[in-house]
Amino acid sequence: MKQWKKLAFGVALATFGLIAAAKAQDYTALPRKETLIVENPEGTIKNPGWFNIWVNGGGGVSTGLQQLTMDTLWYIDPEKGLGGSAWDNSLASDKPQYNNDFTQMTVKLRKGIYWSDGVEFTADDVVYTVKTQMDHPGMNWSAAFSVQVASVEAPDPYTVVFKLKKPNSRFHAIFTVRWNGAWIMPKHVFEKVADPVRYDFANPVSLGAYKLKAFDPQGKWYTWEKRDDWQRTSLARFGEPAPKYVSYVDPGPPDKRTIAQLEHNLDIIHDNTPEGMFTLKEKSKTVESWFPGFPFAHPDPTLPAVIFNNQDPLFQNPDVRWALALLIDIKAVDMASYRGAATLSALGVPPTAVAMTDYQAPMQDWLKNFEIDTGKRKIKPYDPTIGQQIADILRKQPKYKDQIPTDPAAISSAFGYGWWKPDPQAAAELFEKAGFKKVGGKWMTPDGQPFKIRLTVEGDTRSVFTRAGTLIAQQWAAFGIDSKAAPSTSVWQAGLQPGDYQVAIAWSVETWGGDPDLSFFLDSWHSEFVAKKGENQAPRNWQRWSNPELDKIIENIRRISADDPKGIELGKDYLKLVAQQMPTIPLMSYNVFTSMDTTYWKGYPTIADPYTDPVPNWANSRLMMVKLKPAQP
Amino acid sequence: MTSYPVFVLKRFGQFLLVVFLGISATFFITHMTPIDPVEESIGTIQQMGQSDPRAVELMRQSLRELYGLEGSIWQQYLHFWGRLATGDLGPSLSAFPTPVSAIIARALPWTIGLMTVSVILTFILGNAIGALAGYCRKSAVLKAVSLVFIAMQPIPYYILAFVLIILFGYVWPILPINGGYEMNTNLNLSVTLVLDILRHSILPALSLILVGTGGWLIGMRALVSNIITEDYVVFAELGGVPKRKILRSYIARNAMVPQFTGLAMSLGAVFNGTVITEIVFGYPGIGNLLISAVHAGDYSLVLGLSALSIVGVAAAVFIIDILGPLIDPRIKVE
Repeated sequence: MKQWKKLAFGVALATFGLIAAAKAQDYTALPRKETLIVENPEGTIKNPGWFNIWVNGGGGVSTGLQQLTMDTLWYIDPEKGLGGSAWDNSLASDKPQYNNDFTQMTVKLRKGIYWSDGVEFTADDVVYTVKTQMDHPGMNWSAAFSVQVASVEAPDPYTVVFKLKKPNSRFHAIFTVRWNGAWIMPKHVFEKVADPVRYDFANPVSLGAYKLKAFDPQGKWYTWEKRDDWQRTSLARFGEPAPKYVSYVDPGPPDKRTIAQLEHNLDIIHDNTPEGMFTLKEKSKTVESWFPGFPFAHPDPTLPAVIFNNQDPLFQNPDVRWALALLIDIKAVDMASYRGAATLSALGVPPTAVAMTDYQAPMQDWLKNFEIDTGKRKIKPYDPTIGQQIADILRKQPKYKDQIPTDPAAISSAFGYGWWKPDPQAAAELFEKAGFKKVGGKWMTPDGQPFKIRLTVEGDTRSVFTRAGTLIAQQWAAFGIDSKAAPSTSVWQAGLQPGDYQVAIAWSVETWGGDPDLSFFLDSWHSEFVAKKGENQAPRNWQRWSNPELDKIIENIRRISADDPKGIELGKDYLKLVAQQMPTIPLMSYNVFTSMDTTYWKGYPTIADPYTDPVPNWANSRLMMVKLKPAQP
Repeated sequence: MTSYPVFVLKRFGQFLLVVFLGISATFFITHMTPIDPVEESIGTIQQMGQSDPRAVELMRQSLRELYGLEGSIWQQYLHFWGRLATGDLGPSLSAFPTPVSAIIARALPWTIGLMTVSVILTFILGNAIGALAGYCRKSAVLKAVSLVFIAMQPIPYYILAFVLIILFGYVWPILPINGGYEMNTNLNLSVTLVLDILRHSILPALSLILVGTGGWLIGMRALVSNIITEDYVVFAELGGVPKRKILRSYIARNAMVPQFTGLAMSLGAVFNGTVITEIVFGYPGIGNLLISAVHAGDYSLVLGLSALSIVGVAAAVFIIDILGPLIDPRIKVE
C-alpha cells in the first residue's frame, strides 16, 4: 500500500506544482499593453503555414492576413470610413476611369507604397496578379478574371489599363473590398516560384502596415507586428497604427470567449450568442458594443430572409408568398431569435449604414400607402410602428429598461422601422385567390394535396436563425399548414445551390453597406443567371426568381456608373418590385454581437463614431488600428 | 486442434479483411454525403467576395480537375487504393495541395499524448481503486471514493468539461482552458514549454479521467468480488499468506487479464481522438481535425483519419487475440 500512497502523493504534488506555477491564465507572452487580441471566427486553421491567399489551400484568411498585410485598389467601408467617405482609394490614387461604353478601365496607382521587404509596389504587381491567375485555373480569382478581362497592360509604373471582353460598369468591384477583394500579389516573390498554385507563401511579404511575427503551428493563433516602415503603406494616410502587435486567436466556443473577455484576455469578440453579449454587458464594466445599450449588436449589410424556391410550383404565385408573409408575427420571431435584439427590415435591403438614409427612411411613406389585393379587398399591410413596439416591450423588462432608446430615430436605427402586420384573414383570402382550400382545418393546394412546407434551417450552425425559422414554421402550422422546420448542416451547398429545398432561412442580399449601389448583389439576380431546375444555381439568386421587370432595372443599372445618383432611384424601383412580388420575405439584418474590451485599448468604432465595422474579420477593420489608443499609460 | 502459426495467419487475414472493408465503407459513405468538396471550396471562394455568376461554372471545372475528382466513383475508388498501396493518402481537398499525411502528422501527437496519458491514468486509477474496493469491502473510505467515481461515470464528459471550465477558468482562474500552450510562447523545447503544455493538458485530461475511471473501477471490483470466493484465495487466506500478497499475486493478477484486453482496445481507439473534448478545450488534435474535414467534405482527410482509426482498433484486437493464448493458459487456440 505504501507504493500506492507514494504514487498518489507524487501525482497530487505534481498537479499542485503545475497549478501553483500558474498565474491567472494569460493568452500571450508578449507585452499585453502593446498587444491587441482579436477573435478570428475561422477557428483553428487546418493548414496554418499556408499564407497563399490566392489559393484556397486551407490557410486562414481572416487571421490578420487579409486585414493587416493585404491591400488592393479600393475599399468601400460598410459604415462611414475614415477620410470623409466610405469609398477609399487605397492602392489606386483615384476612382476607376471607364471609357464611354465601359469596355476599358484605367487605374492610376498611388506612389511610394512598398512591400515589407523593401520592394516598391508598381503597376507590374497588378498586371502580374491578373495574368498569373488567368493562367492558373483554380486560383481564387482566376475564373472571374478569365471571363471578364481581354487584356491588361501597364503603360507606365503607376498606370494599369484593363480591356474587357464585354461592357461592365462594375468591373472595379473585383478590386474593391467589401469583406475582401482581389488582393494584389507580390510579383517579385511569385515570379520565382515554379507553381503559384502549390506555393505556400511562407513568411509572407506584406503590403499592409503589419508583417508576420509568429504563428501557432497548430493553427490557433497568428501574431502580426507593426512594420518599422508603416509610413510606406496606404494605411499611413490615416495615421500611425497604435498596437505594436495584433494577435488573431481561436478563443473557442461562445462561453469561453465570454470568459476570456471577462478576464481581459480577449480585446475583441467577433461574434457571440445574444445571451453571451447580455452576460458581458451585465458583468463587465469595460465592455463596449456598437450600440451602447440594447440591441448592442452591429447590423451587418446582409439580409437574412425567408427564401422561397421560386421554381417550386407551390411558391410561384406571389399571392401565396404574400399570404405566408402575413402569417408571420415578426415581434415573436424577433424575441425568439435575437431575444429582441434584431434590426428589422420589410424592404429588400439590410437596415444598416447608408441604406437607412438612402432607402429605408425615404421609402417609409411608400410603404405606409402600399396596398395588396387579396381578391376580396385591398389592404395596407405595413405597420410602421413595429420597431417602436419592440422597444416598448423591451422597456418593460427591468434588466433592459434603461438601455432602450426613446428617440424615434435611435429606435429605428437600433430596431428597424416597421414590418408587415400579421393578418390571418387576409392570408386566407390570398390563399383562396390562389386556388388553395381549407378542408377540416387543414389547407389544401389547388390540386387537392395537403399544403406541406419544409423550412430548411442551419441547426446549431446558426442557432439564432434556426430559432427564427422554427417559430415561423410553427406560426404557419398554427394556421393549418403542414409546416415544419428541417435542420440541415449544409443549407448552402446541399440545399440552396442545387435548388434542393422548398423554403429556407438564408440570405441572397448583401450590400456594400457604405455605398448605395445595389449591383453588388443585384446584378446576379438577372434572369440570364437563373439555373434550370435540378442544376446548380450561381450566387446570389438562391430563390431562382426570374422577372422581366427586374431584368430591366438591372440592365439600366449596368448602363450607368456606380456613383450615378440614378442608381438610388433604380434601387428604389427594385425595392418596390420585390415588396409587390415577395420572392423572399426579408426579416432583419445579420446582427453581429461584437464586443470590445476597453481595458487595454480605447477608440473602437461604435454608432457614435461609426468610422468602420467593428466586426474584426472584415478587411476594412484595418482602420481600427489607426483609431485605437492605449487605455493604460 | 489448430496450430498457433495457422491461427495467427488466419487472424491476420481477418485483420486485413476488416481494414479493407472498413476503409472501403468509409470511402463510399464519404462520397455519398451531400457535401461536395468542390462546392465547399467554391462556397469559401465566394465568401471571399467572388460571386460573379459567369465565373462559377469555370471555377467548378477547374477545381474538379485540380482535385482529381473527375471520373466515376469506381475509378476514384481504384485510384484511391492504388495510391494507398504506396502509402500515399493524397492531398487534402480543403487544404489543397498539402498532403493529408502532413496535416494528420501535425495533430496526431497531441491526441496520442492526451489520450494515452488519460487512458493509462484512468486504467491505473480505476483498477487500483476497484481492486481495493472489491477486496476491502468494509472500508468506508474506499466506498466513498468508489461512489464518487461511479456517480461521475454516467455524466457525459463534455458536461463535466464545461463544469471544469467554469470552475478553473472563471470562478478560480488558475488553469488554461484553451489550446495546447500559451500564445506567442517560444516553441523551442524547454522546461518552460513542457510545463506549459502539461498545464494546458490538465483540464482536458481531468475531464476524461474523472468520467472514465468509474468504468474500470466497476469492472475490476466485480472481477475481484468473484475471485475472492475462489478456492485458491480462500486457501491462501487460511494458510496465513499476507493480505497484500493475496491481493497482488492471487487476485489482481488474475483479474487483470480481461482488463488488459480492454486497455488494448482503448489504446487502439486512441486514434479516434476525443472529438468533443478537443473541441471544448480547443485542443489541437485529430478530433478537431476530423470535424472540420467532415464539414468541408474533405474526403481525403476523412479517409486518412478513418484509416488510421480502423487500422488502430483492428491492430489492437489482432494483437490481443494472438497474445491471448500466450499469456492466459485458459484460452485455447481453436
